[in-house]
Order: sequence, then C-alpha cells, then structure tokens
Amino acid sequence: MTVVPAGGVPAPDQPVPVASAGLARDRRGSPVPTLSMIATRFMELRRRRGLMIGVAVVNVGIPALFMGIRLLLHAIAPRTNPPAGNFVIFAVLGPGLLSTFGFIAAAVVGCTAGSRDLSEGMFRNLVVTGRSRLALYLARIPAALAIVVPLVATGYIIICAVSAFAAPTFIDDWNVNIPPGLSRAGFESWASEHAVPVICGLYHGRIPRDVECASPPRWSKSALAPGSSAPPRVEALAIVAARQNYARYAGIIRRPSASLMIRTGLWIELEAVVGVIVGLGLASLMGQRLIPVIVIMVLQLILTPVLTYVTIPHLQDLQRSLMGLAMAHLEPSGLPVVVGVPGVTGGVGGSGTAALLPESATQAAWVIVAWLAGWTILGAWRMMTRDA
Amino acid sequence: MNAMALPGTLDELAAQSHWAVETHGLTKRFGANAAVNGVELLVPRGSAFGYLGPNGAGKTTLIRVLLGLTHADAGTMSLLGYQVPRHRDAALARIGAIVDEPRFHGHLTGRQNLRLLAAAREPAARERIGPLLERVGLAHRADDRVVTYSMGMRQRLGVAACLLGDPQLLILDEPMNGLDPAGIAGMRELILSLVAEGRTVVLSSHLLDEVERTCDAVAIVDRGSVLAQGPISEMLAGARTALQVECGDAGRARALLAGTTLGASIEVVPTPLGLEITLPGGTGRGVTAEINRILVSGGIPVYRLQPVQTSLETWFLQVTSRLGDPE
Repeated sequence: MTVVPAGGVPAPDQPVPVASAGLARDRRGSPVPTLSMIATRFMELRRRRGLMIGVAVVNVGIPALFMGIRLLLHAIAPRTNPPAGNFVIFAVLGPGLLSTFGFIAAAVVGCTAGSRDLSEGMFRNLVVTGRSRLALYLARIPAALAIVVPLVATGYIIICAVSAFAAPTFIDDWNVNIPPGLSRAGFESWASEHAVPVICGLYHGRIPRDVECASPPRWSKSALAPGSSAPPRVEALAIVAARQNYARYAGIIRRPSASLMIRTGLWIELEAVVGVIVGLGLASLMGQRLIPVIVIMVLQLILTPVLTYVTIPHLQDLQRSLMGLAMAHLEPSGLPVVVGVPGVTGGVGGSGTAALLPESATQAAWVIVAWLAGWTILGAWRMMTRDA
Repeated sequence: MNAMALPGTLDELAAQSHWAVETHGLTKRFGANAAVNGVELLVPRGSAFGYLGPNGAGKTTLIRVLLGLTHADAGTMSLLGYQVPRHRDAALARIGAIVDEPRFHGHLTGRQNLRLLAAAREPAARERIGPLLERVGLAHRADDRVVTYSMGMRQRLGVAACLLGDPQLLILDEPMNGLDPAGIAGMRELILSLVAEGRTVVLSSHLLDEVERTCDAVAIVDRGSVLAQGPISEMLAGARTALQVECGDAGRARALLAGTTLGASIEVVPTPLGLEITLPGGTGRGVTAEINRILVSGGIPVYRLQPVQTSLETWFLQVTSRLGDPE
C-alpha cells in the first residue's frame, strides 16, 4: 500500500487540531439535510441501472411505445388505422396506466431509497459521520422525488402531446367523419348533405333498399365531401338519424382540454409522490425492499379496488382511510370511468364516484396528508432508533 | 450544557481530557447474554491501542456502542472528552471508524461512495477525497465500481472513508481481515503513519502478532469483559516467562527443584532435552541463576539455560485461559 501525505491531513508530528473552522460551521445535529446530501443521494439512486430502466420503462417507455406504434400505423395506413391520439386513449394511458403503474414504480424507488443503505452496509458508515439520522432520512425524499417526478412528467407529456396534437380532426366514432362543434340544426343540415353515409353509419332502423352502403373511407383526415344529392325521402331519413344521435355527438370529446390535462397531470404526480413517501417509510420501517414492494402492490392492485366498491358494515371509516380510495375521490372531474383500473373512477362529482364508498374531497385530502405524514414519521422514527 | 450554545467551551473542555476513549461500567446485553459487561476502558490520546479478544468476545459490540450504532444498557462513556450519547454528534465529527467488514454501495465507484459519505460530513471533507484515495493507494481504481474491488481494496477504501473527516480518533475493527501479506504490511505502515500524525488509533483485532507490531497499548477482552489493559511492554513484563533448560537426568532435576522454596512458584515440565520451567510474572534474572545453582550443586549437568521472551500471543492465551477457572 502506498502511504503518501494527504492534502488537508496534518503531516507527522504536527498536532491534530481540536476543532477546525469547518467543524465550527458544521451543523451536524440539524435535522435539515444539506443540498450536498440530497445531491449525492440522488446520484446513488440514479446509478442503479436496473431500477432506473424499470422506472423509465413503466413511466416513459410504455406510453412512448404505445403512442409511437399508433402514430406509425396511422401514418402508414390512415384509412384503416385511427389517429394516434384521442380522449379515450388519454384517459386509459394517463389516469389509467400511468397513475396505477407509475405509483408502483414510484413506490419501488421509495422502497429502494429506504432500504438499500441498510442492506448494503452503508447505513452504519453514514451514522458514524455524526450526521442526524433524521437528516439522513429526509435527504432521501427529495432525491427519490427528483427521480420519479420528471419521469412521470415525461411520460405524461408524451401522452398529452399525442392525445392533443394527433387527435382526430373529425368525429369518427360511427365511421362517418363529422365536423366537430355543430349545433343541432347544423348537425341536421350536415346530415342531409351526407344522407347516404349518415343513414349507413348512424341510422337506428331499417335502411331503405335504394340506399347503397359502400364501405366509407375510415379515419380519413378530411371531412366527407358532399355526396350527390339524395332523394328528399332519404334526406329526411338522414335528418331523423341526426336527431337520434345528436346527444351522443355533442358528448364526444375528441381531445382532452388543457385544463383537464393540467389537473390530471397534477393528480398523477400526487399519486407518484405518495408512492415514493409510502415506499420510503414502509421500507425504512421494515428494513428491506422486497416485502414492502409486495405489500404495496397487493394494496394497490387487489385490496384497494375491492374495498373501494364494497361497503363493509362497521368498517367504512377504515375503508375511507385507504389511500387508493382517497386518491380516486380526488381524481379530476371530466375523466371517463375506466373499468378495472384501480383509482380511475370518474373523479369528484364524476360519473364513477357514485359507485364508490362516499367520501368528501376534504376527507380524501386529509387521508392523503395522513398517509404522507404517517409513513414519514414511522420511517424516520425507525431510522433514528434502529441498531446500525 | 448545550453543545450548540457553547461550542468553544465544550471543545475546550473536551480537549482537556487525556483519554481518547473512556468508559466506565459500560454494559450491553442481548437478552441474558452480556456482550459488553461492565467495561472499564481508558485509551490514551495519540496512541495506537489494540483491543484484543477471541471471536465473539464482544469487540465489535463495544465499538458499536461507542459509536452509537446501538445503545448501551448501562455505564458511561466519552470519546475525545465528549460525553456520549449527549454530545455524540460533536464527538463523531472528529472520529473515523470501520465497523465489522467495510461495506459500500457496490454499484457506485469508490470515489462516489466517498462523495456520499463526505456529503454527510463538513464541506471540507469533499476536498479530501482525491488526496485520500492517493494515500490509501486506490487512485487508479477510484472510478471503478466497488463491486469489482477485492477485500483488501475495500479495507483501504474503508480507511479512506475514516479519514474523510480528518479525525483525531480512528476506530478500526479488524482492519487486517482479508489482506494479503503485502496488504497487511501496508495497513500497518498506514496505521503507524496516522499515529505519527498525532491521531489516536483503536485497533480491534485477533491478529496478535500484528497488534504487537503496531500498537503501544492493549486491552484484552473476553466474554464482554476487559481482563487486562495497559502498555504492551508493561503487560508483558508482568507475564509468566519460560526457561528452557538443557540438562542431564531430567527426572532428578525436576525432583531437586520441587524440593526447594522455588518449587511452589514454578511449573516444571520434562522435555526431550531436559526441562521447561514456567516462571511467574515479574520474575527477575536472579531466579534463573538460582535454578542453575540448585541443579549444578545437585550434581546435574547443565548444558544450556534459555529464557524465552513472552509474546503477546502467549500472554493473551495465558490471560484468556484463566477465564472460567475457579478463582
């Protein structure tokens, strides 16, 4: 081993100073982590290739791949493949996939941050620095969030961008490209001008024999050109078909609004933050990663969906304390019900909340706060009292 | 006293202490088993101090208690004059330690691991990383992941981690473990250089030969209790010594010695060449001359008398073998 004088270390025979100026400025007992602690903790997490790849795949890779394939297919064959984006795709990928699996990915990051120092033997090295154990714990929170929040945001921005900018120009749900935003009269007028495709696509009744329903040009980016004028009887039938379908036509949303995208994005990020904090606290409490990850997955994917839709006598308050139920109640209004995806229920006042165990938005907010505070306190307490 | 309110006073008081480590009645129990049992330990500042004991003697547990990695059940302790646990953060700011085997994040490089630890210390610690990696001979592998390091390299990285805080006291738990002979020699050289810089090094080990070469003073611990402590030279001076005697008619020689006043205080064992006589601790050279005189005057031909210097290992075995003997 080479032994050479080290910078900052006294040479032989020189007295070691009792307290350097650096130590005098050092607030080692403070519970507030330093920026340097947060930065190095971020580095420690970021260097975990497997973790980073997994989290990036879930949050960015899957939405990007899905949207990319849809964009490609539509670009190659626009007549047979719909535009990549639309409101339903947004709802399925954003509030559906990203909120559920993004939460789990965030929890895995939290569990890793909360357990790996211990399992890899670095915890005692950190404790013997004399730094407050609370500060060591708290440094992990912003570090883990700095990993998760941007990745979730990236995935969500991809979903929003495709949903908004690659949404269909025309309403195409009936294989009839209809201009959006028509009034009832306008819709009927448009129907009379396109009587044959309207009757073929929209009419709920027996189609007259003299109307030939050829395959319409599906998913075309342009509106149907006005056809040749139809007999008055056929035009009248088209107007009837338009009246039958106007309510559905008016309810179709081609793309999510900017407001909905922003509110949904914040809601998804809140879910990810909760995932990190709960994972961190649980893993710190248990001193390992695997079991907490399994517990969180079981809670989120199995228990929460079940306990959200059933009412257990005498245990409703306990049910209301479920984080997943509270998150469902805080979901932005205006999102559709996505059956089978935990947490996506239609939002506050939305169509899906009726099926949920009732809980006010304020109660739900307090439940979330309690989960954040409770797990942070439990994790920090265990870290401060644990034998290293 | 509030450490934050009166930092100068606290530091000055601490600096007046002669002892780097001072414990009184320190006890740590795991159920009915006392891993640390009323330990009274005094480690002088500026020394290399060996804390010796067989496996399971409680060496690592004592270190863990001192560093606050686990709590003590009874007793008091101070490190560098700072009462702990009351002023543990102030004490630990001036201490570097390796506890058990040195372990780091395997997916990070040696330099990154040191950055992680330096971030928890004072700002100046980060500037020491490069020079310390040079000092422990790891500069050329500093940017390799620790998972690729040998045990010896991890030990050296552990020493570098200890030195990040420019400590006055280093506590090294089995630092020679896993090192090859060259690594052991290098570690010994490093420890001696640290002591030469005025630091105190507490070395926990069961490699007695290495401790004898490295340390000025030792404490012997077994079953959680300190059996003896002090400078090695004083300890060995009080140890039993052996006298190898080459002589004729060993049986009669043994009987002759047993019949004298010396017989009660020495142990005589026949050997192929004569006798091996164990003398009590503190025996002077005059006893050797007296044995020679008794044998020669008894008509026993004496060809050679050879005192055998007691090693730390021999003394350690003598001390620890008394454990469990009826008092």
